[in-house]
Amino acid sequence: MVIELDLKGEVCPYTFVKTKLKLEELDSGEELCVTFDHAPAVENVPRSLKNEGHKIMGIEQKGDHLWKVRIRKA
Amino acid sequence: MKKITVIVRNLPLNTRRNAEALRMSVGLTLRDDKVTVIFIDDGVYSAAPSKPELINFAPLDKEFGALSLLKCAMLADRASMQKRKIHSLHENIKPTEREEIVRTITESDIVIPF
Amino acid sequence: MKLGILLTTSPENENTNTVISISSAAREQGHEVSIFLMYDGVYNIHNKEFAKLADSGVNIAVCALNVEQRKISRVDGILFGSQYDHACIASDVDRFISFG
Repeated sequence: MVIELDLKGEVCPYTFVKTKLKLEELDSGEELCVTFDHAPAVENVPRSLKNEGHKIMGIEQKGDHLWKVRIRKA
Repeated sequence: MKKITVIVRNLPLNTRRNAEALRMSVGLTLRDDKVTVIFIDDGVYSAAPSKPELINFAPLDKEFGALSLLKCAMLADRASMQKRKIHSLHENIKPTEREEIVRTITESDIVIPF
Repeated sequence: MKLGILLTTSPENENTNTVISISSAAREQGHEVSIFLMYDGVYNIHNKEFAKLADSGVNIAVCALNVEQRKISRVDGILFGSQYDHACIASDVDRFISFG
């Protein structure tokens, strides 16, 4: 099961803070799908999560300013 | 884990500096360091309830909410408050004696006056 | 030694020259230097001296949100990062200096 997190309207560092807090609720191996509409977040949040040991399963652009990032918790 | 203290000391309504200091403080928690925010001198105006939206200035609710959620200590220097006749503070900001302010600063690994 | 520097003022402030001087001196002595630019500090990214610092091995990151807010164009060799990068610098360095 993939948990969804909608972070439209959020900017740095709240994008990362809220993703991190949500990941803390998940078990290792579970997946989180986060929706962003802030372009810098789509570059930086996955890079930062990788640095924290999580795995980025995919980044998909869904619209002009809309992206979905799939993360597998470490 | 490091102890990081951010010092907010400017007047709040003619600059985004104080809002950015708080946003930065939220960010500094991301490596699990202990972040404390100190409001001192004119910075205590940022710690007091206000309605900046009346002059089209964004309120600091989001920043204060995140700092509270992340359990960051927020201290307002009581002497600075008294000098400016400030009697109330935002939720979760503690009026603090100068001795404790000094102790917090001297015990910090990093102090960032913003 | 690892040195971290935060710069939050724009280029006309004397902080810019101080940051450049300290960083290049530290690099010459073999120290690892990381600079984070945020708030009006992001206006420094087009300063040629910062490009020289990056070339000399200084790690430079900026707050991409502040860059976007000020509509500044990107520069090669500088990381358009986030507050997470700032947190990493603060967490990892031996000494941290703030110029605001």
